Amino acid sequence: MVALVFLYRPGHWNTAIAGIAADVYQPAADAKNGSIRKDGFDFISITRMVSNSTMGQKEKNSFTQEMVDSIRQQPFIEDVAPLEANLFQVELSAGGILPFSTNLFVESIEDRFLDTLPPNFGWQPGQSKIPVIVSSDFLEIFNVFGPSYGLPQVSPETASGIPVFITVSGDAGREETFAGQIVAFSDRINSVIVPKSFLDWGNVTFKGKKAAYFSRLYLKTKDANDPALLSYLDANGFKVNKDKTKFGRMKQVFEGIFTGLGVFGILVVILALLLFSFYLQLVIARSRESIRLLLMLGYSPNWLSVNFTRRFIPVYIGIIVVAVLLIAIMQYVFHQWVMYNRPELESWPHWSVALVAVALLILSIVANFSLVKKRMTEEKAV
Amino acid sequence: MPLQLTNLLPTYFDASRKNGSEIWGKEHRFDAGQYIKIIAPSGSGKSSLMNFLYGMRTTFSGDIRYNNKSILQNSDEDWAVIRRETVSIVFQDLRLFPQQSVLDNIEIKRQLQPYHPSEKMKEMAERLGIADKLTSKCGNCSYGEQQRTAIIRAMMQPFQFLLLDEPFSHLDDANAQKAMGLMMEEAQARNACIILADLERLDHYPYTQLYHL
Repeated sequence: MVALVFLYRPGHWNTAIAGIAADVYQPAADAKNGSIRKDGFDFISITRMVSNSTMGQKEKNSFTQEMVDSIRQQPFIEDVAPLEANLFQVELSAGGILPFSTNLFVESIEDRFLDTLPPNFGWQPGQSKIPVIVSSDFLEIFNVFGPSYGLPQVSPETASGIPVFITVSGDAGREETFAGQIVAFSDRINSVIVPKSFLDWGNVTFKGKKAAYFSRLYLKTKDANDPALLSYLDANGFKVNKDKTKFGRMKQVFEGIFTGLGVFGILVVILALLLFSFYLQLVIARSRESIRLLLMLGYSPNWLSVNFTRRFIPVYIGIIVVAVLLIAIMQYVFHQWVMYNRPELESWPHWSVALVAVALLILSIVANFSLVKKRMTEEKAV
Repeated sequence: MPLQLTNLLPTYFDASRKNGSEIWGKEHRFDAGQYIKIIAPSGSGKSSLMNFLYGMRTTFSGDIRYNNKSILQNSDEDWAVIRRETVSIVFQDLRLFPQQSVLDNIEIKRQLQPYHPSEKMKEMAERLGIADKLTSKCGNCSYGEQQRTAIIRAMMQPFQFLLLDEPFSHLDDANAQKAMGLMMEEAQARNACIILADLERLDHYPYTQLYHL
């Protein structure tokens, strides 16, 4: 069938290619990685690439406030905030309940970047209790490996109830212990988050300064898979959580392929129109005597051009309808049997395919009419 | 609607050709109801004149005006209207579609601007003796039959000027007379002007003016 269509009018298989390019591109553009989205935004954390040559140079492996401001100005960035880390030492223990003690790192971030923000997440100097938000991954890891060490598996509710002790110490040998309480688990941030006021107080109190460099930044963006964002991150040597942008990386490749396919489609359209114009010129040349005679008898060049072009319209429509049907069938088959009905993709062509089909139809008719008209004028009676 | 010729001369003719001619380089005005006869020996530019008047060539100096409008200002679309409604022609070389039937050749002109109902085609074919050829391919007909086909075709449209370029070159006297009779009737019915150009004097053409090209 396809071969038949191609043979019938060799110039018009381009419709299918252009249609497919428009069609396949669309689901890729629509699909999103849902796990990190909230309120229509994606949140991703970035770090700077640490290489052998930059190892140990904090200013080359961290973000400065100027870099944060520069990132904020990018069009695809909605918001950015640094994850500030502790400069002081932190030790976590579970008191007498569980025989558990570990050195810890804590971080803080602007509250607006937290996906779960309990009302009691705050700290003021003098307060002995520190609310903590922990990555839900930590609880999962604890529950996986805990039993090997004879520790009980705990539910999020129980974990929230376990009193932990956070011992903070600094350069001058000063040490202070606080009662910590897990107030929430975060899916978004894979770290231990304490209120910013506590972290700032701790850094100043125990280290005498606030953090000047930030190891990690959190970005709020409309689309973490936006190729422009990924290109920007790559160009600046920023490392991003791969899982969360894996689809975006694929999308980058896909977009490249489909852009190439689209350009190829346009080239084929141009070639096809050219080919068809040669075909028309051949038809006109073969009918040259008849056309001249008709013009001599008083048939108007305009009328002849319109009627000549009109004869081809059913052919164009037929080819384009068959091409669109083929696209629809191929896409349906592809979605059902190759992509196993994945929800990110559609079984039926996007409306832009129909738009491209109509545009190509109009383009063919207009191009042919103007060509025929030109030839008719040249063929005027001699 | 008048037809005016002003100082007309083919560009490929020497200016001296104006001297011996009553058309080239002269001023003429042809009006409705006039029957013009132009005697034109071979090489005198007869077909050139017809081509100029029918807008097929513009290789002339001077001017030709239909209804006071120079034909040099006409677009292709203007010529289509003129050929459909104002000027009809019988070409010396006939210019028929050889692959089409006699009837189709006539009908193709009639459809353009019907002046007669389709029955009239058959009536005229009978009158000129080609009724039995209506369904034959034109290319298979004799020159005489083709010439009569071209004459009937020219009668299918409205016109104010009928240009005849050696219209009886392939006809015997009896058939030429019949054809002339038909054309005179049709021209009178339209109050049209006939411009007939031929090699020599034709007895059965009741011309009102005679010119030597």
